[in-house]
Amino acid sequence: MLKRLLLLGALAGVLAGGVSIVYQKVYTSSLGADFTKMAAPVGIIAGSVLGCLLASFGFWLLNKWLKQKGEIVFNLLFSILSIASILAAFAVKLPLDVESPELFPGLVVPMHLFPAMAWFTLKPIFRIKEK
Amino acid sequence: MKKFIFSGALLLLLAAVFAFTIAQGWTPTDKYNIGFSSNDAGGVFKKFSGNIIFDETNTAASAFDVTIDVASINTGNGLQNKHAKSDEWFDAAKYPVIRYVSKKITKTATGYQVTGDLDMHGVKKELAIPFVFRKTGNTAVFTGSFTVNRSDYHIGKPGGDVAELIKVDITVPVEKK
Repeated sequence: MLKRLLLLGALAGVLAGGVSIVYQKVYTSSLGADFTKMAAPVGIIAGSVLGCLLASFGFWLLNKWLKQKGEIVFNLLFSILSIASILAAFAVKLPLDVESPELFPGLVVPMHLFPAMAWFTLKPIFRIKEK
Repeated sequence: MKKFIFSGALLLLLAAVFAFTIAQGWTPTDKYNIGFSSNDAGGVFKKFSGNIIFDETNTAASAFDVTIDVASINTGNGLQNKHAKSDEWFDAAKYPVIRYVSKKITKTATGYQVTGDLDMHGVKKELAIPFVFRKTGNTAVFTGSFTVNRSDYHIGKPGGDVAELIKVDITVPVEKK
């Protein structure tokens, strides 16, 4: 089960990272605000993969401990943590030579939600059954 | 004809005297840095302009009249920028500029000191700023550091998380006019 979950995490991370990079390109070209120095594509993909792998590990742990209720608790936790992580985007302090820092949250807030969306979207494909 | 020659000579003489007594004018380049810092807040003002007349050998004829655009404040955080421009702090809508006009420039042991009026947030107070002037050919750099008590200018509420004394660091590269 853990192997399948880690594969799910890796794939969901790559998917979330890919979507984030596409979103970054659209955001940059439409608003002209370039934040690629702070949110580099490699960092975005690495962060998304790491987040989704941690989610998979968390799912595995919660299923071991809470059995049938594990998935319910995991879904709630993953959603709450993803939404709560949005606050970090508003608190971040950018280098002073970066123009229009007020546009930065608009770029990274959706990126904080993409890993959970990708993980929940791909999970049924892996047919992971709760113990 | 004699009158014409005499008038021409007089004009030339006046121009020579005028050129000798007027100090050198400098134009700021866009590489300037107007930074401020305290225990809690820090940032830069991105827009700065003004007239800079300075001659190391003739400080009496030197003068500064510079303006900072308050709305150009950048703390690196969008929410903090909005907060800094609000009526609780700089009130950029009511007081859009910070202006410093020199009254006297003197030479000191380490460089120079300019004394003038700092007009900020509707309060005008005399402020002395020590600075260093480094000239290289047709370019030069003014650098200076000083502290401003924000409560003197009624910026923010007294006390709170942000210290009263705000350190200001200025670096202004200039070119000869």
